[in-house]
Amino acid sequence: MGRSRRGSRWTRAHAERLLWRAGFGATPKEIDFWADRSRERAIDWLVHGGRGPHGAKRMVGPAPRANGKPLDPINEWGHDMLWWLDKMVRSQRPLQEKLTLFWHDHFATRDEDAPLMLAQNRKQRQHALGTFPALLSAMTTDPAMQSFLSLVDSDKADPNENYARELMELFTLGVTGGYTEHDVREAARALTGFKGNYRDGRPLTIAYVPDRHDDGTKRLLGQRGRLNWQDVLRIVVKHKSHAPFLVSKLWSFFVTEPLPPATRRRLARVYVGSHHRIAPVVREILASRALYADLHEPKMVKWPIVQIAGNLRMVGRGVDTDDWAWISDMMGQRPFSPPSVAGWDWGAAWMSTATMRARFLCATYITKEPPVAVKKGTVDPSWKPAEHVERARAATGRPWTSPTTDHQLLALARRFLAINVKPGGEVPQYQAELTQAALRHLLLSGPDASLH
Amino acid sequence: MHCDDFSRTDADRRSALTRPISRRRLLQAGLGATISLYAARAMPLARALQAGEASAAAAPNAPVLVNVFIPGGLDLLDTLVPTGAYGRYADLRPVLKVAAPVDVGGGFGMHPTLTQGLNGGLKGVYDRGRLGFIPGIDYANPDLSHFNSRHFWETGLISLNPGPGWLARWVDRNGDPENPFQGLSMDAGLSPLLRGAGKPVAAVQSPDDAQSWVPGVWGEWQDRMMEHYSAIAARRPGAPGPAAVFAAARQSQYVARTLKPYVKNDDTDVDPLAPPVAYPGGENGEGTNGFAENLRYLAAMLALPLGIRVATVEAPGDFDTHDGQAQTLNTDLGKVSEGLSAFQADLEARGIAERVLTIVWTEFGRRPKENSSAGTDHGAGGIAWVMGARARGGLLTPYPDLNTFDEDDNLKVTVDFRAVYASLLEQWLGTGADEVLPDAGRVGRVQLVAAG
Repeated sequence: MGRSRRGSRWTRAHAERLLWRAGFGATPKEIDFWADRSRERAIDWLVHGGRGPHGAKRMVGPAPRANGKPLDPINEWGHDMLWWLDKMVRSQRPLQEKLTLFWHDHFATRDEDAPLMLAQNRKQRQHALGTFPALLSAMTTDPAMQSFLSLVDSDKADPNENYARELMELFTLGVTGGYTEHDVREAARALTGFKGNYRDGRPLTIAYVPDRHDDGTKRLLGQRGRLNWQDVLRIVVKHKSHAPFLVSKLWSFFVTEPLPPATRRRLARVYVGSHHRIAPVVREILASRALYADLHEPKMVKWPIVQIAGNLRMVGRGVDTDDWAWISDMMGQRPFSPPSVAGWDWGAAWMSTATMRARFLCATYITKEPPVAVKKGTVDPSWKPAEHVERARAATGRPWTSPTTDHQLLALARRFLAINVKPGGEVPQYQAELTQAALRHLLLSGPDASLH
Repeated sequence: MHCDDFSRTDADRRSALTRPISRRRLLQAGLGATISLYAARAMPLARALQAGEASAAAAPNAPVLVNVFIPGGLDLLDTLVPTGAYGRYADLRPVLKVAAPVDVGGGFGMHPTLTQGLNGGLKGVYDRGRLGFIPGIDYANPDLSHFNSRHFWETGLISLNPGPGWLARWVDRNGDPENPFQGLSMDAGLSPLLRGAGKPVAAVQSPDDAQSWVPGVWGEWQDRMMEHYSAIAARRPGAPGPAAVFAAARQSQYVARTLKPYVKNDDTDVDPLAPPVAYPGGENGEGTNGFAENLRYLAAMLALPLGIRVATVEAPGDFDTHDGQAQTLNTDLGKVSEGLSAFQADLEARGIAERVLTIVWTEFGRRPKENSSAGTDHGAGGIAWVMGARARGGLLTPYPDLNTFDEDDNLKVTVDFRAVYASLLEQWLGTGADEVLPDAGRVGRVQLVAAG
């Protein structure tokens, strides 16, 4: 990937790829809007916001509801993830939302009280495209995180190593980042001093109590001094393993192609040179040729929540049911409940017979309601097979399909329309509707629909 | 009580909410009825039996290993009470001590709830010589984190590195290239024991659970539609993500198609898989003992020529008894006994007990000395057992000494769990141990299968 090559071809397929990888897909009209402009303008909009296909609106579409009522993310089961899903579906800052998802996976926290989880999510959104040190500081002092990784109430008498270890292993340096068990212990000492305030019925709050902090001399990653928690964060972010670790992870979030060492070095330079800002690195990745590789054959497995949000976004439907909470869970991803502090396993690991069946079920729940459901009387029995396929594509937001799928869709339409034909060649109405229902479902349930 | 690292366990699989909600919601949506209505006049049995039949026919009496996980760390002392040293036991457990253990001879007594269930519950199975306890099981320098210890047991390796489960490795080494039933999780998601397999494996809770519905497309129309789905899924892309998606699509269809004739008809109440013995929890076991329901379907599926070789089931409840240990054991251990004893009776009634061996395990033991909350903290030297018509009965490993503990006041480990794994591979599955377990050569063996 060279600088000179950027800004090359820009087609509708490029725009579609960018909007999926940097967001949650888009309606055909939105894709056309960006295809008519340029890669630079599309990336600008994704990174900085501003006027897009819907003007300056921040959210587009109906407010979320479940069982006919507004959401109650604090008290109702599953409404926390619906509250977030709504943003993924309606936000006109889709990259910010996509990166919020990235940071939720990166700083994976679970099982904490809903108010704390939502507060953590807001911080991740606020810093999604900001500077990493600010995000890391916000996460280190975050009550949900501190409670989850036993940092709260870790004091000089008994420093808990949980957060110190994950800080280096998962958040900043990587498991081969060059730190030792000694560094973990020393960082744990330096991170002492946070004290929890537990009051019945109130969310956990945390205060820093200098008296509980171990203010002795520590030695961390080659640096010596009476280090405190801010020193620890400063030292790990400056460590030579950090920039390559973080840019590599960001790359693999957006791109399936391997990251060439030269590109990794360049991205690391951009990151460090910008004082650890996230946006410049992401911008480089979104502009890279590798992001647009294999436009005819996408290789990235959609995260389950991305498939749900994407389906809704493509067809312009809002969050109107709490079914998405359990469907997402069955698909293998329940936001606010990552499997462990290491987040979810990506790629091929999303797939099993059970999760694939759940993805099929996702298509069922899209196609059983408006606007995708086949409305009685809207299907013309005189449509030819090719027109049926075209109508089904239009009704489902024109998802990507492979030539094999195209061939099978047409074959299905031909076959379905040929059964039970009345004298004179007329296709019964129910049969035309059934054909349309089967096509729409296959467009959203086939294996192609799990890739982007 | 919430312990710090318990949150790090696998959410997808272990969320207590997943199963009841998805099942209930499906029933509310009328799906059960839709599916069964069609299945009533579904395809003949012959058509359903394909790859599974082929591999099952090749080895109709191939041994099956059922793996049951008891989550949380089941306490050894209160489950298999050392009545021969009751005074010492009572000193360690002044509050918790089981007042009237059910004597099984040899200076031991079982927790009274283990008599619950068919034919005297697990005590009955033990009395008939078909249950062998493995007290003191663990590994050297036990890790008292739920997450870490489970990971070791799941992978069969004392390493925190991610990797495929030990049963996944067995499937890869010994399995069929096409049959997903060979490695079966009776669950909404794939057990970590089977995760990472290169050969096909499946996760399904019942024939009903494997089915899908398509709005507006029913009966033979859906069959036709699924033929096109299968034609699309037949493509074999090379990249890992798409390859996994297409494989999961093929396998989930195979599982659904194969199990379709066995879906219970909610209208006529005809259940093709109706068990020959009474399982706990009423007709469908729903809500009361989902564990027993999973075992009921597993027994029925083991009697079909599906080619199941290894299967995983998770026990109900949470045995992380930091407080209220007595109550937890009274309710949840009883459910374990009811489920497992019904399963064993079922296998015997079906005449397939000779080829099924069940291993029951938990991630670690608990501290011998009770804590101040009427519970016990994480410890070492836990409990496992083998159950089956050909299991060796009795106590198969030394019971830990109650007078000398390790440096953390925990029971001393008397057998490495990998010795049990290696013995299961060699003595039961009849395959090499070191090709699945790198440490098989240095962990010893335990005789788990009855002579002759």
